[in-house]
Amino acid sequence: MRKDFVFGLGGAVALAAMMAAAVPALGQQQSPVLDAAVESGELPALADRLPSDPLVITPVESVGTYGGTWRSALRGGGDNAWISRTVGYDGLVRYDREWKEIIPNLAASWEISEDAKTYTFKLRDGLKWSDGEPFTSADVAFAMEVFQTPSYAAGSFMKNPNNKVSIEIVDDTTFKYVFEKPNGILLDELASVNGINPVSLPEHYCGQFFPGTNEAASEEAKAAGFETWELWMEDRCAWGNETIRYANPEIPTLMAWMVEEPLTGSATRLTFVRNPYYWKVDTEGNQLPYIDKLDMRVSDSVEEITLMALNGEIDYQDRHIATTINQPLFFDGQEAGGYHLGANVSAHSNNMALQFNFNHVDPKRAELFQNKDFRIGISHALDRQEIVDVVFTGEGEPYQVAPRPESVYYDEEYAKQYTEFDPELAAQHFTAAGLVQGGDGMWTFADGTPLVLTIDIIAALRPEWVDIMELVQLQLAGAGIKIEINNIDRTLYYDKRPAGEYDAQVWTGDGGLDVVQEPRYYMAFSDESVWAFRWVQWWQGTNPEIAEEPADWAKQQMDLYDQLRAEGDATKREALMKQILVIGKENFPVIGINLPGPGYYIARNNLKNVPADMLFAYLFPTPAPYDPFQWYFAAE
Amino acid sequence: MLRFIFKRLIAMVLTIWAVSIVAFAIIQLPPGDYLTTYMASLAANGDRVDPAQIEALRQRYGFGEPFLVQYWKWFSGILTRGDFGQSFEWKAPVTSLIWGRLGNSILLEGVAVMVMWLVALPIGIYAAVRKYSFGDYLTTIGGFIGLAIPNFLFALILMYLSYVWFGTTIGGLFSPQFEQAHWSLPRIWDFLTHAWAPILVLSTAGTAELIRILRANLLDELKKPYVTTARAKGLSEFRTIMKYPVRVALNPLVSTIGWLLPALVSSSVIVSVVLNLPTAGPLLLRSLTSQDMFLAGAIIMLLGILTVIGTLVSDLLLAWIDPRIRYGSK
Repeated sequence: MRKDFVFGLGGAVALAAMMAAAVPALGQQQSPVLDAAVESGELPALADRLPSDPLVITPVESVGTYGGTWRSALRGGGDNAWISRTVGYDGLVRYDREWKEIIPNLAASWEISEDAKTYTFKLRDGLKWSDGEPFTSADVAFAMEVFQTPSYAAGSFMKNPNNKVSIEIVDDTTFKYVFEKPNGILLDELASVNGINPVSLPEHYCGQFFPGTNEAASEEAKAAGFETWELWMEDRCAWGNETIRYANPEIPTLMAWMVEEPLTGSATRLTFVRNPYYWKVDTEGNQLPYIDKLDMRVSDSVEEITLMALNGEIDYQDRHIATTINQPLFFDGQEAGGYHLGANVSAHSNNMALQFNFNHVDPKRAELFQNKDFRIGISHALDRQEIVDVVFTGEGEPYQVAPRPESVYYDEEYAKQYTEFDPELAAQHFTAAGLVQGGDGMWTFADGTPLVLTIDIIAALRPEWVDIMELVQLQLAGAGIKIEINNIDRTLYYDKRPAGEYDAQVWTGDGGLDVVQEPRYYMAFSDESVWAFRWVQWWQGTNPEIAEEPADWAKQQMDLYDQLRAEGDATKREALMKQILVIGKENFPVIGINLPGPGYYIARNNLKNVPADMLFAYLFPTPAPYDPFQWYFAAE
Repeated sequence: MLRFIFKRLIAMVLTIWAVSIVAFAIIQLPPGDYLTTYMASLAANGDRVDPAQIEALRQRYGFGEPFLVQYWKWFSGILTRGDFGQSFEWKAPVTSLIWGRLGNSILLEGVAVMVMWLVALPIGIYAAVRKYSFGDYLTTIGGFIGLAIPNFLFALILMYLSYVWFGTTIGGLFSPQFEQAHWSLPRIWDFLTHAWAPILVLSTAGTAELIRILRANLLDELKKPYVTTARAKGLSEFRTIMKYPVRVALNPLVSTIGWLLPALVSSSVIVSVVLNLPTAGPLLLRSLTSQDMFLAGAIIMLLGILTVIGTLVSDLLLAWIDPRIRYGSK
């Protein structure tokens, strides 16, 4: 095994920055709210709470001051994504603020074997859970044991049947993940929002619910009113970012803030307080976070949250309220509400990905949808600029479902091919696809059967989809293609996929920046590749009864992605991804409408250290990679 | 009378049982189950789920089992242990979720009903007695406006006006410091400062309806000879009207008391969502959209029980105010 320690993708730079930052004395100051507890001996002194090598964070603008409450809101009860994006992002590694490199977090360093099968992580020395108990390799091993218990429903790379993994403990702070097959993208998974899975289960607390560590767990679960230990465990010690995790204030955490008032079914707010054992400091050695408390209003009413924001009762938020429709409202209310708007650059490449079903059970339709000329014809029949102007008030530009301009994978040709509105060209392609134009100008199948396409959408999820589709319907009717808009419930949407009877479904263009992690529209990648649902089953081996053998080009992409997964070298992975994209561009499986315009967030004017522009994605859980624990409230 | 109540009680038990079957069946009607919704919401967030994990959950929740088996497990749990099952979404016993919210519903909507009656009865009587007067027209128009404005819109307008005029956001039923507190005078005051908006919204629509029904009934009664007789005998005008005609005119209102509670819960769902009230309505709505079966089933069933109890109460009240009912069954 090679002994080169790799610090993310651009190792040397990050390392140098850290060495420079580590010079000042560490653990100098703590929040005044902790002083009393330390004096009374209830809490150890700061130096004893911090690891010997705490992570030093360079503030975005300036070193901050302690105090304050960050107010935001959750919509309804199951809205854990906002918590994941604000509090729940502290895994072994993390992304830097440019989303370019993977940098140390709980793990101070790591080493990848040349065959990308063995990952050796070295944890910081002296890390502690929020109750003061040490966090060690044993906790990571415990999480692995729980995840790999077949009867316990927890999923991640730890339970991947296609590439089994085991763990080797070297010492208290060193452990190894050993994979059966090469795994080149583990660090990306660990740096994403899902990265907290392996570090979310404290053995000293969760062990009491788990039969592997407590033989009486099953009986105790029954005594506590749960049918099985799994239900008890889930209730008290849910893994990762499960909503239910925030219903238990007792569970120790490694995050900057810990639950105070829990998120139960009847809760009207969820509050967090600072974790006295948080293991990060600023460049002057002050313990983070700066903000003492988080207060999340639990509201079923978007209207209420919107008014709260206008009224200055929200300190930072984008989720639920930062919509296109609300933008003028928030813009006008800035002065009265004492807040301002900042930019969220979406990771979405498109507002709508139109996916025709290559695996339709009707062979005539499957053949048509697989015909590239047909899709090119549809694409040319769309007047995208009209949609941009009418639906998105001119924000955004005509764009295919292709990597975003900010991405290293950006390819102008991929992004812009077939986007010009040209009905004549469209007609030529329809003819080439074997369609026949009737006397009324409408296209039919070659045998004369009428061609009506039904497109499924979920209005409840993205209201603008309806507006887009209504224009698409008019535009395609102008080009001689009749479509019907089928607005259905989300559950039905998912249920229809295995049956293969839908003509087309739409979704948002994921994977604009997270190209490697979410290539669902560039290749038949996951169940979310609705355009080739049955090809995916062939590749994954799930649902063999409906699997269909993919076209050669699609198989070639799958082969390349398998190689990519197994590749330890980042530059080689990038080259492989580019090959996949070239094939994707050539075969043009999915039709896009427009690149989303800039999104926005709103932040109170006295909230400091928030960058003006942020990249925005779920896997890169904005704003967490911009380190909310170093945000602070300036004195007004 | 006892015999009457006893017969009614038996019918109630059978009705509740039937309600439980229907509730459980209806909740199972939509395609998919909680797990498909769960996967969908994860996918919407950009998250992915391991199919093996979903399979494990499916088995644990017993989604593969036939309808009757699932139903019996649920219903026998309620009968024997008062256990309404687990909420999938909250991973918690349903009973721990519903009581507080149901209590809030009953409190809020009970007050709304009281306000509604207190406002509607005098106005209805006045409108009937002073038929076609200026006051009659004024209250009638007011009533129709109250009836015509959709509740959610009224709630939105109130929220907006309160933001623009007073710079406050109305929403919820309590200030943060009182949410978890026990009942006390300050908490009651806090409740009232928050609850005026939903009470206003919920009571206006119903008020108009009550006024119209009462006015029409009373107009019929006032024409009857016994009223003329009473007047001729020199009874004061107030007593003449209140003693008999109003009592008779109340009949159709009292007989629908049983429907009031469930009607209020269902009509208040959207208001509760808009104003973010911690009542049973939003919980029911969310449990239905996420197909959280046992939670939705429990709420629907409790609403069914409330209806049945309410009907019994209205029957008893009716027997009390209208002797014809008491004796008619003989």
